[in-house]
Amino acid sequence: MSKTSNINRVDGFAKVTGSATYSAEYKTPGITYACLVGSTIAKGTIKSIDTKKAEWAPGVLAVITHLNVDKPAGYEQPKKRENLGQPLQIFKDNTVRYYDQPIALVIADTFERMQYAASLIKAEYLKEEHSTELEKVKDKGKLPGGERAKDYNRGILDGYKNAEVVLEEEYTIPTEVHNPMELANIIAKWDGNKPILYTKSQGVEGTRKSVGNVFGIPAEDVEVHSEYLGGAFGMGLHTWPYEIAALIGSKKIGKPVKLVLHREQMFTNVGFRPYTIQKMGLGATKDGKLTGLTHEALAMTSNYEDFTEATVNMSRFMYDCANVSTKYRIAELDTCTPIWMRGPGEATGSFALESAIDELAHKLDLDPIEFRKRNHAEKDLEQNKPWSSKYLLECYEGGMERIGWKNRKNKPGSVREGEWLVGYGMGTGTFGSFRNPTTVKAKFLANGSLVLQCSVNDMGPGTATMMTAIGAEITGIPTENVIIEMGRSGLPKGPTQGGSATTSSVGSAVHDTCNLLVSKTLGLATENETFKNIPITDLSFANGAISSKKDTKKSVSLVSLLNNNKLEELSVENESKGSEEAKKYSIYSFSVHFVKVLVNPNLGKIRIAHVVSCADIGTVINQKTSAGQMYGGAVGGIGMGLMESLEIDHRFGRAINNNFADYHVPVNADIEKQEVFFVNKKDPISNPMGTKGLGETALVGMAPAIANAVFNATGKRVRDLPITLDKILEPSVAKA
Amino acid sequence: MAAKRTIRNKAIEEESGSSRRDFIKKSGLLTALALAPPSLVMASENKWDEKIAEYLETVPLSLEVNGVKHTLNIEPRTTLLDLLREQLLLTGTKKGCDHGQCGACTVHVNGTRILSCLSLASMQQNAQVTTIEGLSQGKKLHPMQEAFIKNDGFQCGYCTPGQIMSGIACIKEGHANSREEIREYMSGNICRCGAYHNIVDAITEVKEGGKAL
Amino acid sequence: MKNFQIIRALSSKSAVSSIAKENSAMFIAGGTNLVDLMKKNVVAPDKLIDINGVDLKKIEFLTGKVSIGALAKNSQVAEDKVIKEKYPLLALALAAGASQQIRHMASVGGNMLQRTRCSYFYNTDMPCNKRVPKSGCGAIGGSNRMHAIFGASDSCIAVHPSDMCIALAALEATVLVEGPKGKREIKFTDFHRLPGNTPEKDNTLLEKEIITSIEIPTNNFTKNIHYLKVRDRSSYAFALVSVAVGLDIQNNTIQDARLAMGGVAHKPWRLTEAEEFLKGKTVSEATFKKAADLAMKGARSYGDNDFKLTLGPNAITEALTIAASK
Repeated sequence: MSKTSNINRVDGFAKVTGSATYSAEYKTPGITYACLVGSTIAKGTIKSIDTKKAEWAPGVLAVITHLNVDKPAGYEQPKKRENLGQPLQIFKDNTVRYYDQPIALVIADTFERMQYAASLIKAEYLKEEHSTELEKVKDKGKLPGGERAKDYNRGILDGYKNAEVVLEEEYTIPTEVHNPMELANIIAKWDGNKPILYTKSQGVEGTRKSVGNVFGIPAEDVEVHSEYLGGAFGMGLHTWPYEIAALIGSKKIGKPVKLVLHREQMFTNVGFRPYTIQKMGLGATKDGKLTGLTHEALAMTSNYEDFTEATVNMSRFMYDCANVSTKYRIAELDTCTPIWMRGPGEATGSFALESAIDELAHKLDLDPIEFRKRNHAEKDLEQNKPWSSKYLLECYEGGMERIGWKNRKNKPGSVREGEWLVGYGMGTGTFGSFRNPTTVKAKFLANGSLVLQCSVNDMGPGTATMMTAIGAEITGIPTENVIIEMGRSGLPKGPTQGGSATTSSVGSAVHDTCNLLVSKTLGLATENETFKNIPITDLSFANGAISSKKDTKKSVSLVSLLNNNKLEELSVENESKGSEEAKKYSIYSFSVHFVKVLVNPNLGKIRIAHVVSCADIGTVINQKTSAGQMYGGAVGGIGMGLMESLEIDHRFGRAINNNFADYHVPVNADIEKQEVFFVNKKDPISNPMGTKGLGETALVGMAPAIANAVFNATGKRVRDLPITLDKILEPSVAKA
Repeated sequence: MAAKRTIRNKAIEEESGSSRRDFIKKSGLLTALALAPPSLVMASENKWDEKIAEYLETVPLSLEVNGVKHTLNIEPRTTLLDLLREQLLLTGTKKGCDHGQCGACTVHVNGTRILSCLSLASMQQNAQVTTIEGLSQGKKLHPMQEAFIKNDGFQCGYCTPGQIMSGIACIKEGHANSREEIREYMSGNICRCGAYHNIVDAITEVKEGGKAL
Repeated sequence: MKNFQIIRALSSKSAVSSIAKENSAMFIAGGTNLVDLMKKNVVAPDKLIDINGVDLKKIEFLTGKVSIGALAKNSQVAEDKVIKEKYPLLALALAAGASQQIRHMASVGGNMLQRTRCSYFYNTDMPCNKRVPKSGCGAIGGSNRMHAIFGASDSCIAVHPSDMCIALAALEATVLVEGPKGKREIKFTDFHRLPGNTPEKDNTLLEKEIITSIEIPTNNFTKNIHYLKVRDRSSYAFALVSVAVGLDIQNNTIQDARLAMGGVAHKPWRLTEAEEFLKGKTVSEATFKKAADLAMKGARSYGDNDFKLTLGPNAITEALTIAASK
């Protein structure tokens, strides 16, 4: 345990006092208020739009529609549709592509007047037949572009069919919506031809690029601030039409515009986890050796942009199996484009894979962990590479002990606590551990503090805290004297926050840059009188001072070193990226969620009585914030497993439960006891700290763990999420 | 078009007959304006009508927020949440749903936790409002704020002000006697990051610490 | 939200006389439902009469009954010591509703007047006979997981969302109202109505009438009571089905029984036939199951809510069992 391994969040004070400033909260003189009015059909064209009443309403500054918009220069560019290449070009023409698509922007001088004016806008449409139901376009799946989406085959195609014991099942997950607590929001303004955005973005540099493309200006001219994000979970990975609309509006009226989506619009306009239908075919020998695995998925995308995620990819390497085939297809529906949601792809895929593994174990009358152990993959068979590290078996052990796995019986419904049926289940998760090029500037100030700069942002995992811990560890500067500047453009370029890559990317850059800064400082010290004739290799830097290793009495403080040299600061800016060596390995995090449920089958009530979440994420930089992520991932998985589903009334193509009263996410009472266990063993390959990713894998595997526990409790196998009470309800039978 | 506007929104203590008459007189004036000849319509385009409208559409409001007295004129439709965030620039209180479905906007009014998004500011005459900004004194944090930091009762921080305001009330109300009771009485505050475990830890610690809140 | 005028009334009489003069005015108390409906443009009154200054907040224990002022807050009633002791079913039901913040704001009268949570009612671009008469019912043939299995019509299958009212229906409360024509009393079970062809009317309150209080007669339902709420998450969600049970058990024999269900009809659904059946019976699971079967007579589902035909009787049996075992 290092000194920094359990520090409190460095932004804690700001967050508990309300002084943390989220995007729409910047105090901006002359601010105006805007909102978007959505279409009330799912497909067709706008025949007419009556904006007069709104324009004449008190306080209204502008109403912008496709009829009067000054189209951004980038709208003229031809667009490719694959891989999110063509975001919806707001107000481009009269086409309606999905229900609640923005058709007008209203700007007024106060929030209340803006809201009222927006209610006065009415449009007429020429309706066309819409399609919002994936089940009805099952035959319209297409192979998307991109290397990872391609069909995969190892060994005999659909080899599972020849096995002694065969399982074939279909699994469905509904559309789920990120719904961070902070609404999508922006303050947009212009400095001449340069846009300035205070927005909810997970990637400052990505937003600069997208906005630059839309307005036909260089990314460097786009100023983006995204210093605090009230959660995002993937929703902030795209630059959305609302952000462009606010910029268009601000340009039009020459004033700063604040636009905050309504919660209802969070369900329809800023992406979601796509509805996905999966087919699994598994084959094994009678003694539990997996011999074949086929995983096929069909997911939805929009009618204007191709969205893909790695839904089936986990099945290629998770288990030791000779014959593996995967297929991934997408089909267009008349909705907004999906966007990666926490544990993207893998969360969906693991529901099918880990449910099917549990089902097959049951068929074989094997303990599901024993079955997994018999098929433990000692290396990555997809890439044919060794794992950089893999402590999955330790996760199994840690979880079994804590959850009380020994109390589990293979036969469903055979354990009771009072009136409750008891079930135990588990699900394995994994996520690739990536490291993206990152530039960090580190500087010592003349007052002895350390400043770390990077444009990366922190949507909640504790990025600033992690940077502080690593910087403090390397330099010996106390954490309270480390200053983090992040989350805005103009700083050294950091990566997008996503894919669990932040600690590996930014942490490594902090690590490397701070080491360089220490070397530079020692180099400067060799010129100091005190260290005359002492080689740099004999100098060390600790506790804010440079000392001779051989004669520790010879010591100069950092403060006096800088002052003696009349330096206000000493800095290093450095780009850090993954090694060639790392490419020889397969680097993945692993997680296992264990769940104990209590079920009342007469009411369909499922209680999450105990959750133990275990993970192999390499070195744990901060026990506190990492545990927080793991707890949170499990709670997200409870939502996915038990309650989250965007309901569409297909007659209208409209989301029906577009609010927090009808779209349920877990509340505090939904989880009774939670524990986290990290193996905490350094990965020798991944990066200098030996960390692997956490944020995504923290959710992956939780939903199937619940489904498996519910099966163990009730004997009911639910293959379509969420497991709502109606799916396990039993007519009550009077006891004899 | 001015005639379409409903410009008759002055809150009136019904006991005060004079202000009622005053009000009728003013609405009369406005009706006259709406039916007026083109020269007056010009005035309307010059936003004179808006200025009159602004005056007539607001009501006086006195309230105390975090010990500071405010005397304001507000539109009756302004919610307490929007008043705090957009007019008093106290953005610590958060808007998560605007429909009473998430708890992010929880504040104390006269010592009771309520949802500011469903409260009309115009109904808070003489109220004492406490928001997250009113808990700490400079660098000295309220015990619940300290406990949230120590127990890591948040991640993104957006639901946190509401959780803290609710957590303090939960103890004061006497609903923090077990983890189970805390979970139930904190269920009106959604945390999408899923920090519930640590939130319950924080509240339990403050409750057991026994400090005056 | 449309702007409006706000008037503060200081007595029920003046509140009534204020509203009597207006075409488009509404009373506002806690505002937890009305403000939301105004934000969604479901209702758009020109004038609000703020009745919070009216002295109707008291809970008074009188001979043979308790009188609860219409402006008493939900939490105030739920946590009142004497209510908890003498009318525990009411306290339980109140505590099961909404969240503590909302219970602190919401009044007893407002709770009774809250509108349905049907999505088609709330979303103004959807058809809804309750919001816009003759526009059609979106929920029939649409998304109707929350919807009614009793007493619905071709015009409307929405349900009344309150928990408190289910207990009040079981406890045979009386509603006291005041209007331009004076004061009157309404039996609680007659207060809410079934949709029929006029689903826009939730209740039998006449225009410009105000609820002043409710009264609950003293009863023996202090021990063997239960309020069971079944919902899609553990708290802060509306009931899919709820059951209020009051049993008066002497020597293992049921002397008197009260049963009402929530989440199943346009009004709190009193199960009188099942109550009659239970009277005089010995406590047994078979008896409870039989009562539950009787209670479900006439139930009809609409697709998404088919499960309520199973959940309903199960919940009744469960609630009776829990109540009897207390």
